[in-house]
Amino acid sequence: MSRYSWNPIHPTEMRTGTWAWLLHRISGLGLVFYLFLHIWVISSSTQGEAAFDRLLAALQTPLFVVLDLGLLAAVLFHGLNGIRIILFDVGVGVRPQKALFWGVMAFAVLVFLVASYVSLPLIFRA
Amino acid sequence: MKARFRIQRYDPEQDATPHLEDYEVDLHETDTVLDGIIKIKDELDGSLAFRRSCRSAICGSCAMRLNHRPALACKTQVSPLVTSAERILVEPLANMALIKDLIVDMEPFWGANEAISPWLAAPEAEVSLERESLMSPAQAMGIRETAQCIMCGLCYSYCPVVTTNPKFLGPATFVKAYRFIADPRERGKRERLRAVSGEDGLWRCHTIFNCSEVCPKHIQITWAIQQLKRMAYLDRLGLWRPQEAKGERR
Repeated sequence: MSRYSWNPIHPTEMRTGTWAWLLHRISGLGLVFYLFLHIWVISSSTQGEAAFDRLLAALQTPLFVVLDLGLLAAVLFHGLNGIRIILFDVGVGVRPQKALFWGVMAFAVLVFLVASYVSLPLIFRA
Repeated sequence: MKARFRIQRYDPEQDATPHLEDYEVDLHETDTVLDGIIKIKDELDGSLAFRRSCRSAICGSCAMRLNHRPALACKTQVSPLVTSAERILVEPLANMALIKDLIVDMEPFWGANEAISPWLAAPEAEVSLERESLMSPAQAMGIRETAQCIMCGLCYSYCPVVTTNPKFLGPATFVKAYRFIADPRERGKRERLRAVSGEDGLWRCHTIFNCSEVCPKHIQITWAIQQLKRMAYLDRLGLWRPQEAKGERR
């Protein structure tokens, strides 16, 4: 007799806490992936000045500025929600967890919008 | 008022897998989902199997999934659900093995609870059969919230950690542990804390808050779990003084 199963990350099952957990997990995995990419980019400096400059020039194209904004979104959410989780672990803010989640979201979106606005000239270069 | 139900049926002697069946009954506006299910059993299909007892949200027997959300059928009014175009979907609790129709095997839930010896540990000199063991009103306030648990199993059935690790002790067990650790009469606080802070204990909790969302007694279960985590790491550091552990008022 098997256990009656359900899918905790099906949208009809997900409440605020599950969304926070899932976004934290996805952004965390994304950041791990980015870390390796970052090490690979920096390590190209061992192949000489010209090679490193060429790579950095490619990374300043509009496409990579957009990707950088994605990175910023992941860092913002993961970092801010990380503070929310650390607060829980010292027993603070557990009851108002939903308000904290929306606070995290609001602050992350605000910073993201400001950063996106500042980045516009880098994306739409004449 | 016509109420349209869609109920999961499963007879282990005849069915290979569960299936859904539709029913329609006349209900009063003030009726609960449980009233509807009882009426279906009385008037339409006597073979429908489900647990119920008190019908007033104190026994916890009629825990089931209503429109994808674990709830007590006796504590859920039928009228707000009837207004929607969809049928009221009634399914058994998840995370436990299906026995028949809406009945699941709650043994893992009881087993987890048993692991922490869920009774007061106090020397006989302090507990008498002749009189009650008194607490001051202030002390009683400290465990008021967690002592409300009726052990219905809704939290256990909605915990994603239980889904992925059936050995996880589960939310209700932690609530029970907190209830005793915060009890001023309890003498086995350290043993109890260590019983819930092992490999399949507290630290597996991802603070997803599903348990707190569905508790019919509105216990902030995750809050109790986080208090226990704090006590557990203070204990590891040798900084926890059990007899000073009091329930905290909100």
